[in-house]
Amino acid sequence: MRCAEPRPGSMRVRFMMWCAAAAIFLGSAAIHAHEIGTTQVSVVFQQRASYEIEIVTDAISLVEKLEALSGGTPQSLRSAAAMQVQLQTFDEVFRRRLVVGFDGSAVRPAIDYSVSGVTTATSSPVATIRLRGAVPQGARRFAWTYSWTFATYSLTVREAGTEAQTTEWLEGGQSSTPIPLALPNRPPNRATIGLRYLALGFTHIVPNGFDHMLFVLGIFLLGRRLRQVLAQVSAFTIAHSITLALSVYGIVSVSPRVVEPLIAVSIAYVAIENIFMSELKPWRLALVFAFGLLHGMGFAGALKELGLPRSEFVLALATFNLGVEAGQLAVIAAAFLLVGWYCGSRHWYRRLVVVPASALIACTAVYWTVERLGL
Amino acid sequence: MTIYRSHSSVPRRWVWLVAAALALSAGPLAAHDMWIEPTSFLPDAGKIIGVRLRVGQDFLGDPLPRDPALIEQFISVDSTGRKPVYGRDGADPAGLLRVAEPGLSILGYQSRPKPIVLPAATFNQYLKEEGLEAITELRARRNQTGSEAREIFMRCAKSLLYYGTPTDAQADRALGFTLELVAERNPYTLRAGQDLPLSLMYEGRPLSGALVVAMNRANPLAKIMGRTDKKGRVTLHLPQGGMWLIKAVHMVPAPDGANAEWASFWASLTFELKSDGTGVAAR
Repeated sequence: MRCAEPRPGSMRVRFMMWCAAAAIFLGSAAIHAHEIGTTQVSVVFQQRASYEIEIVTDAISLVEKLEALSGGTPQSLRSAAAMQVQLQTFDEVFRRRLVVGFDGSAVRPAIDYSVSGVTTATSSPVATIRLRGAVPQGARRFAWTYSWTFATYSLTVREAGTEAQTTEWLEGGQSSTPIPLALPNRPPNRATIGLRYLALGFTHIVPNGFDHMLFVLGIFLLGRRLRQVLAQVSAFTIAHSITLALSVYGIVSVSPRVVEPLIAVSIAYVAIENIFMSELKPWRLALVFAFGLLHGMGFAGALKELGLPRSEFVLALATFNLGVEAGQLAVIAAAFLLVGWYCGSRHWYRRLVVVPASALIACTAVYWTVERLGL
Repeated sequence: MTIYRSHSSVPRRWVWLVAAALALSAGPLAAHDMWIEPTSFLPDAGKIIGVRLRVGQDFLGDPLPRDPALIEQFISVDSTGRKPVYGRDGADPAGLLRVAEPGLSILGYQSRPKPIVLPAATFNQYLKEEGLEAITELRARRNQTGSEAREIFMRCAKSLLYYGTPTDAQADRALGFTLELVAERNPYTLRAGQDLPLSLMYEGRPLSGALVVAMNRANPLAKIMGRTDKKGRVTLHLPQGGMWLIKAVHMVPAPDGANAEWASFWASLTFELKSDGTGVAAR
C-alpha cells in the first residue's frame, strides 16, 4: 500500500486528544492563578453571525500602559473625558495587544471606547471598551487573547438570548481555550431550507392533512378525464398560492375560527355535488378556485405555526407551496393507480365508487363542520 | 555594600517606551511585583485616602481589589499604634484610611501564600531577574533546571505616608512581615539625589546577599540595584523625586506539606521623594 488509508476514527481520536489537552490546560491554569484584578471581559454571540465583546477595566492603568507603550510620560491627574479621547487616539496601539480570533485567524473588530467615573479616594474611572464584528462564515472556534492586564481576569462567553454562559479565568497575555461555536445553531444553507419546507409542505397534505386529502379526492372523483382533474387542480393551486402568500405576508388575515369550518364546508360541498352531478360544469371551476382561496389561508396558518426563517422567507414560502402541490398530486396519483386506472371507465364506476366514496367524504366533512364550529 | 546609579542620560520618553515594551511583552505567567499606591502620600489631616493595591511590572500596574481570602494583614501603624485598614470586599481601592496623627504612617499588606505553577523557562528567567542565583544553583544541583516549578508566593508590601513636619526621629519600623524592607531613614526628610539606607529582614532576621531594586514612577527602567550586606543593609542612591518603589524577592525551599517546591516572598516599599528643598515640607 503506497499511502495509509484515512482511518475512520482518526477525527474522533484527534477531537478526544484536543479535549484532553484542553482539560490538562484548564486544570493547570487553575493552579497558575495570579491575583484577580478588576478587568472583566464578556463575549456575546448574536445567532453566531456577529459578536460583541465588552471589556470593563480600570481606565487609569490602561491609559498609563498605552501611554508608556507609545512613549509618553505618565500624568497624575486626568478626567474621564480626557482619558476617553486618549483611548480613542491610542486605538491602533490598543489593538496590538489583543486578538479576536476565529479558527486561528485574527479578525479586526470595530472598537468603541468610553470612560466614566471620577478619581476620588474611593473610586476611579472605569473604561468600557466595546468590540463588534461579524463572525466569519463557517467559523467553528473562537479564541481570545488580551495582554493589557497583569492580573487574572474573567472571560465569559454566551449566546444572545440565553442564560447559559462559560467563564474562564485568564492571565493577561494568555490565550483562551478555543471556544467551539455551536454548530447546530449555525444558519442552514438555502438548499437545506428549501428541502425542509418542501417536506413540510408535502407532509402537511400527506399524511397530516386528512381534510385536504379528502378535498383533493373529491375533485378527483368528479373528473373522469385527466384534463378535468388537472383543470380543477390548477384552479385550486393558483387560488391557494395567492391566499397563502397574502396571509403569510399579513395582507389578508382571517381567523382560523372562520377558515377551518369553511374548509370543512367546502369539502362537504364538493362531495355532495359529486353525488348529484356527473359532469364538470364551468361554475364548478370557479367554486374550486374560491375554495382554493380558503384552503390557502389554512395552509398559511399551518406555515405560520411552523415558523418561517426571516432570511429565506420567499424561498421557504415557495418550497412549502410546492410541497403542498406535490402532496396533492401524490394523492391524485395514488387514487388513480388504485381506482381510476382500472375502473375509471367502467359503467359501474360512478355507482359503486364515486357516489359511495363521495357520500363518505360528505359525511366526514359535515361532521368536521359541526366539530369546527364548536356546536 | 554597592551603590548603583541610574543612567540619567537616557531620554525619559525612550526609557518609558522600552520599559513598557518589556513589561507588556513578558509572558502571561511572568512574575509580577505588587505594591501599595495610596491616592496621596502626603494626605491632608482628617481626609480619607484610598489605599490602592497594584500588581504589575516596571511600575505599570493593575488594581487588585480587596480579597478577604488573600489578606493576612492589612494594617496602618502610626504614633498611636497599629490599626486595621478597612475596606469593602471586592472594591478598588482595597482599603481606606484617615490620617489624623502628624508624622509617618506605615501601611502594610501581607497576603496569605498563593500557589502558582511556572514553566521551566519562565521560572528560570524570573530567578535570574530577581537575583535568586542560589535557587538557580540548587535547581541545577537537583537536576530540575528543565522542569516546571511549583511555588507558593506571599506578598509583603509596605508604603510610607507623611503628614506634618518630617523629622528623622520618626522612622519606618519592622511590622513583623515574613520578608520586610525597612527604611532606615525617614524618606520624607530626604531630597532627590540623596541616599536611602534600608534593611531587609526575613523572619525577623537580617537577610544578606539579597538583590534590592528601586525604580521611579517617571523612569521605571532606570533600576537602581544593590545587594544587602551581612547585616542585611543596603544603601540606594535616589536620583530623582516622585514616587519610588523599592522591592526585594526571597525564595526558599517550600516547607513540607505546602504541595510546592519553592516558597517566595515579595517585599515592596513605596513612598514619595521631594524633588527639591530639604525634603517634604508640612502642608
